[in-house]
Amino acid sequence: MTGIRTVVAHFCTLAVCGVLLGAFYEQFAGTVLPCPLCILQRMAMILCAAGPAWVLILSTRREVGPLDYARGYGASILAAVLGAAISGRQVLLHIMPGDPGYGGAVMGWHLYTWAFVVFVVVIVVSGLHLMLGLPSREERLPWPRLSRTVFLVLVLVTAANAISVFALAGLHLFLTDDPTSYLLFEDLGWSSTSAGTATAPAGIGD
Amino acid sequence: MAAIIFLLILGSLIAMWSGRTRLATVLFFVSLLAVALLFNHHVTDALGLSL
Repeated sequence: MTGIRTVVAHFCTLAVCGVLLGAFYEQFAGTVLPCPLCILQRMAMILCAAGPAWVLILSTRREVGPLDYARGYGASILAAVLGAAISGRQVLLHIMPGDPGYGGAVMGWHLYTWAFVVFVVVIVVSGLHLMLGLPSREERLPWPRLSRTVFLVLVLVTAANAISVFALAGLHLFLTDDPTSYLLFEDLGWSSTSAGTATAPAGIGD
Repeated sequence: MAAIIFLLILGSLIAMWSGRTRLATVLFFVSLLAVALLFNHHVTDALGLSL
């Protein structure tokens, strides 16, 4: 079971990093910039990954016990509930027939719909882990070097998101509902063209 | 605002990395609260109810 717990913790962290990198690909290679609700979902996803990542980084220093797992996956569930509320709100914003939704679709679903699925999966996996997967006593997890690397990937993805959002919002307090350019570069006079266009009607893009 | 929240999350992760568990926990919950409040702002802003 120790091996399964280790694989699950690594997989949960890397899966969320993969989803966030996919969102980055959509942002830079696609045609649409992330809206405020998309950014909030990214934050919630990083907080979801922080739970298993905490268990991983703890395991590189000492043995981890049931309380450490409970704290990590409990934190993930809290973040996933918040994330599901945010993505659920965005799904409901575009639920009317004929609404094109916000941004492009991946395998038929928009990114916020996929985000809702990811948050529900995080809740289910974390819940099952807490019910069935807790160790009876403290244990040492294998692969400390891999654990450190996975944690570092999460840190780098978070830092990249911070930079990206700073470029999007510039020195403005809040992001615009339907962003069409990087406000920081626009304010500095480095960019005069739009970097992306939203497909949603103006005012309800979110 | 969003960039500040990302920095809070980053601070929480760095505190985890450096073994400062209590600071990491506090920053995690502050980040969670900040995300919830920002979400609340965006939800209520369209209705003219946000602060």
